[in-house]
Amino acid sequence: MSSAEAGRPAVEQAPAASWRFLVTPRWLGWHLAMVVSVAGMLALGYWQFRRAMEGNALSWAYTFEWPIFAVFAVVFWAKTIRDEFSPPQASTASDGQELAVGIRPARSADRDDGREADEAAPEDEDLAAYNAYLARLQEQVKDHGRWHGLR
Amino acid sequence: MDAAVRRYRVMAYITGTVLIVLCFVGIPLQVAAGNDVIVNDVGTLHGILYIIYLVTAYLLARRLRLSIGPTILMLAAGTIPVLTFVVERWVTRTYINPARQGQQAGQAAPTARTG
Repeated sequence: MSSAEAGRPAVEQAPAASWRFLVTPRWLGWHLAMVVSVAGMLALGYWQFRRAMEGNALSWAYTFEWPIFAVFAVVFWAKTIRDEFSPPQASTASDGQELAVGIRPARSADRDDGREADEAAPEDEDLAAYNAYLARLQEQVKDHGRWHGLR
Repeated sequence: MDAAVRRYRVMAYITGTVLIVLCFVGIPLQVAAGNDVIVNDVGTLHGILYIIYLVTAYLLARRLRLSIGPTILMLAAGTIPVLTFVVERWVTRTYINPARQGQQAGQAAPTARTG
């Protein structure tokens, strides 16, 4: 992770890095898999449609099912990319700004230590909830890089 | 969160059961006895149920903020016999329970432990 971070020129940090992940080999693989699977689903739907037209009544259900799966795959793909741009937890509360920082594996380590240390008021439910939330995020983010492409 | 988990679980069990009936009762009947009734009816039923399963599983996966790999595994589990149940248990152990513990730790005051 640190090697990937070090290899990147510091100049193009802010704007370029936001969409760059889409052209990493891992993501290109996902794009290819998407195109192939959607094409495959549509082809299967068309095949079922032809069978339905030939008199196979059972094929009518699948004629509609395959396009639904294809649409779902496209929605899944689009939402996953959108989540990469702006993680969904940013919308949950007013603490979105902090969380957007917290989810980056590179920075979360030193961030969290500071958070954990200042659990000053134990009766403060919001703070406790927030700390628990950060801990959970930290847990989930651990192997994020494996799937989301190293950023 | 609880509602999303419940919806996912209900659909996982229904879809998983129907798929097992389809694969371990329907297909043997079709192959051995040439009886297509179960395969046709249950097959169509599973197709429809799987669409609902897909939606509930995906909503829960987003709730739990799963990354692509676990999400796809969760979605695909509805099409592979028995795996539906295995994955449901795995998701519960790996993601749902930790998320719940995090919520409880957040909601309850540190001293208040009513069991």
